[in-house]
Amino acid sequence: MTSHRLRALPAKTILAASLALAASAAFAQTPTEAELARRLDQLAAELAAVKAQLAQMQQERAAPAPAAAPAPTAPASGFGVTAPAASAGTATPAMAAAAPSGPATVLSSYGEITYTRPTKSSVNTQADVARFVLGYQHRFDAKTKVVAELEVEHAVSSADDAGEVEVEQAYVEYQITPTLAVQGGLFLLPMGLLNGNHEPTAYYGVQRNFVETAIIPSTWREGGFQLVGTYDNGLTVQGGITTTFDLSKWDAASTEGKDSPLGSIHQELSLAKAHDLAAFGALNWRGVPGLLLGGSLFSSQATQGQTAEKARITLWEAHARWTPGRWDFQSVYSRGTISNTAVLNTPLVGNPTLIPSSFDGYYVLGAYKVWSHEDYSLTPFARWEHVNTTRSYADLGPGLTPEASGGQRIVTVGANLNITQGVVLKADYQQFRDSPDQNRVNLGLGWNF
Amino acid sequence: MLIRRSWAWVLGGVASTLVACGGGGDAASSAGVPIASALSAQAALGERIFADVSLSASGRQACASCHSPDNAHSPANSLVAQLGGVLLDLQGRRTAPSVNYLSSNTAFHFDAEGAPTGGFFWDGRAASLQDQAGQPFLTSFEMANANAAEVIDKLSRAAYADEFKRVFGADIFSRSDDAMARVTLALAQYQREDTEFRGFSSKYDEFLRGNVRLSDQELRGLAVFNSPGKGNCQACHPSARAADGSFPLFTDFSYDNLGVPRNPALVQNDDPAFYDLGLCGRDDLAARADLCGAFKVPSLRNVAQRHVFFHNGRFNTLKDALTFYVQRDTNPEKWYPLNADGTVQKFDDLPAQFHANVNTTEAPYNRRPGDAPALNDAEVDDLIAFLKTLNDGYRP
Repeated sequence: MTSHRLRALPAKTILAASLALAASAAFAQTPTEAELARRLDQLAAELAAVKAQLAQMQQERAAPAPAAAPAPTAPASGFGVTAPAASAGTATPAMAAAAPSGPATVLSSYGEITYTRPTKSSVNTQADVARFVLGYQHRFDAKTKVVAELEVEHAVSSADDAGEVEVEQAYVEYQITPTLAVQGGLFLLPMGLLNGNHEPTAYYGVQRNFVETAIIPSTWREGGFQLVGTYDNGLTVQGGITTTFDLSKWDAASTEGKDSPLGSIHQELSLAKAHDLAAFGALNWRGVPGLLLGGSLFSSQATQGQTAEKARITLWEAHARWTPGRWDFQSVYSRGTISNTAVLNTPLVGNPTLIPSSFDGYYVLGAYKVWSHEDYSLTPFARWEHVNTTRSYADLGPGLTPEASGGQRIVTVGANLNITQGVVLKADYQQFRDSPDQNRVNLGLGWNF
Repeated sequence: MLIRRSWAWVLGGVASTLVACGGGGDAASSAGVPIASALSAQAALGERIFADVSLSASGRQACASCHSPDNAHSPANSLVAQLGGVLLDLQGRRTAPSVNYLSSNTAFHFDAEGAPTGGFFWDGRAASLQDQAGQPFLTSFEMANANAAEVIDKLSRAAYADEFKRVFGADIFSRSDDAMARVTLALAQYQREDTEFRGFSSKYDEFLRGNVRLSDQELRGLAVFNSPGKGNCQACHPSARAADGSFPLFTDFSYDNLGVPRNPALVQNDDPAFYDLGLCGRDDLAARADLCGAFKVPSLRNVAQRHVFFHNGRFNTLKDALTFYVQRDTNPEKWYPLNADGTVQKFDDLPAQFHANVNTTEAPYNRRPGDAPALNDAEVDDLIAFLKTLNDGYRP
């Protein structure tokens, strides 16, 4: 759950209005407008800081301290998808601290219903309540809040059904200073554009992109602690220590590892092996209105002490998003490596899915809002992806080393139709250039509040 | 001579709970490293009973006679089925399986997909190690006692009778049924505690521990073993460590119908109307015609030490057994009798109405006459080389 989904419902605050103005300004096209937008951003940040100080003073004077409100958050951009929030899974410190006047507890929800029809095998057409999520944020005081999210995938979860019920986020955030917060618990890793902003109104296309599901295993969360620093110059710095993947549960007999190497061995903090821990860091810069540049790195040992040999998983990515005027451009590149796979793979030789030593992928996306009226907006988009989950394998000798693949190239064209700020209708066509049998048409309905 | 010392595993499937409780330390460094400990009093009695030939009607047969500690607790001879009975002249009906690596087996049940799983004996009719341990004492063609009282009467005259009374009560011999339950309890406890029944001491185990490399041929054999399009052996005989770090047992305790040829060396097969139907031969599964011909998937650990293969002992060498697997459908004439007109009596150890139960869909069976076998002769040899790495007691 991202902070922008947790805005207080009862009333718009001054801060929210300011940020809305700031966000709108992000689409300015002329230098003058861009400068104005930049100043508005700056003013909004300063206002938030003043409000934070005021809230703190009020709280100190009050005895006992009154319950504080959740943070009003960044408003939608007016695009087909919402603008990137301040940081994945966290409100800006200033915003968080400046919210003592609203309700202490805020409910939230998002959902997506999909219809997928393969063009060459319509017998496999499928409709699904892909995700239904309920969440809440409760603010204990001006500095401390808890964020939790419960998700049901595929509508029904039982012994006989494929669905899952899962805790997607459950963390406590404490504001140390107006610019520095610490989070502890189960939180989303701040990698890429999607993982921290994965609600259906936040991305183009019915299905999430392949780079940020097959390479970055969205929705990817780990348990641990992280520090989040947010600064007036537009920089957000995050870093922490978390649980990590479990290579010992690699299933070489299934194809899951080819679909998503890391997705097949994530633990989701469910009785997670925690012998090995990971360190991660992320940097995001929003110093120019409408522009987001960022990157992140995650690394850990991952055999969890289950084998004599150790293996290190490293995943990094770089991302950019630029929203000049009605345009929206996005790009992500991510690459993962796993060390010592020759030793790990040797007992698995002959199986269909050995552990790759590297995997990567990138996409570029362009969208243009062709029409808008009041809360309506229509935004066609096109996305090109190249994903390779088996970029390379360690050498096991002749006849035993799997062949690395050239990957999959996928073109997605479609449109998002927002009928109001939190409801989106989607349609797209996906062409799999290297396996045309998978070509498909997707329709989707999503909401988010 | 049985090894009296026992080992408590720090890690692996048999003791993963120790790890969960934090008592195991680092799995990678200690996997398979045994810690010496003495057998409990019950298990020590079980060890004595296991080797005691005086508890049989013939006075010449013990558990160890068919489950030799010197041969991975399977028969040390090449008889198609072991001899038993009062005069030790009655042939058994199936080959005696190894009783190693059974401590994690479950009672017979149908899994979530309806597949039969678990149970002891070739047809899973015994629900537990204890249940299994008691049945040969009273089977006419095995230890051939008429009832529990006969067994207990013999046991009361054994050298360890006083120890039995000390452990289970001074009056235990006056209650035959209770005493028999203690006999089977002691046997089950012995099998659970003595790690000779789960040594995890093969070359392959050392390979998994990172202490030794497999030869090129053994590695090729492993690849053939794992490959879904080749041997596809791991579909029923998992070869990889589990996510909890436990070592593979090389069985999933499931059942399969392989259509093994009839074995004329079994006396019971002298009657042409007789068929050993496996699962549906059980009274409680008699109505399940779809299970007729299915037998339990045994562990392949120590399989290279066996002298006969499959439930009916049809094959005497690993090479023949494996070649049958891959040529059953490509060259059926090599394995089944021919009719007068030259046609093959395929699946001749099953009545015709049950032939459809035989597994013909998965590799390596999914082939037709004239197709190339899933494995060629060299690959079968590679596979054998790999299977030999599953013999316990490896010394570099």
